Amino acid sequence: MAVNYDPALINKVFEITEPVEVKAEKIERYCAALGETNPIYTDAEAAKKGPYGEIVAPPSFAVTFRNGRHFFENVPRFGMRGFDAGKDVEFVAPIRPGDNVTLSSHVKEIYEKTGRTGTMVFVVIRSTLKNQNDQVLAHIDHRFMNRP
Amino acid sequence: MNSFEQINIGDTLGPLELFVSKDQCRAYARTMGMGEGAGRFTDDEAARKEGLPGMIIPGNMSLGLVSKLVTDWIGSSNAWLTRMSTTYRVPVQPDRTVTIHGFITNKNPEDRTAEIDVWMENEESERLVTGTATVEFRK
Repeated sequence: MAVNYDPALINKVFEITEPVEVKAEKIERYCAALGETNPIYTDAEAAKKGPYGEIVAPPSFAVTFRNGRHFFENVPRFGMRGFDAGKDVEFVAPIRPGDNVTLSSHVKEIYEKTGRTGTMVFVVIRSTLKNQNDQVLAHIDHRFMNRP
Repeated sequence: MNSFEQINIGDTLGPLELFVSKDQCRAYARTMGMGEGAGRFTDDEAARKEGLPGMIIPGNMSLGLVSKLVTDWIGSSNAWLTRMSTTYRVPVQPDRTVTIHGFITNKNPEDRTAEIDVWMENEESERLVTGTATVEFRK
């Protein structure tokens, strides 16, 4: 069965967010939730002596940015149940407290796969994160799996 | 962490053993401001209504935990995690112990990078999350 979708969806940028300020407190809470103890992410004094000269967010913090509407309005759905199937992330530059991050996203790819548990449709959304200086911070391919 | 010159293909990272509680999972969801669809990460009953065995850990949180194995290894050295790829094979349930492993599969002197296989497994040695990471060793 070939998956049906409008080919015009591919590569179309469907949303660029307003800048989101990265607050030091959010990095702290993120580190606490993950049990992160590396001082370059958690200790201002120790981070001064580290490679970035100040606290930076752990690289994985990049995947926590969201387009406000994209999961619920713009991402095509196939079937009733959707799951996060995985991520491919390129961490280009560290995210720092005080950065204002924008997120631009488009549908990169839609494909069908049949496995042991039946047919699944995968939707890959590519998001690019930039800071206030137009510097790219990360490219993230989000793979969503839809099951009929 | 050892320098680029000191690491070798076949070297292991970890294992990193973690007990991830339901409260920790809820704290992550709250910190990330997860709205619609977050019930499966915060409430057993909501998760069961979706056909899951109970609460599960968000995929992004799993990526964060697997990344932690690599960033712990990097420490405060001048190396940088440049890529991370993860596949969520089996839902990860909280209030269990998971173990995260890493294994250096390649070393490229031209760009001073190391490729690492990473995976998270449960107490039954079932691989829940698999992936690869690339670390660049900056001079």
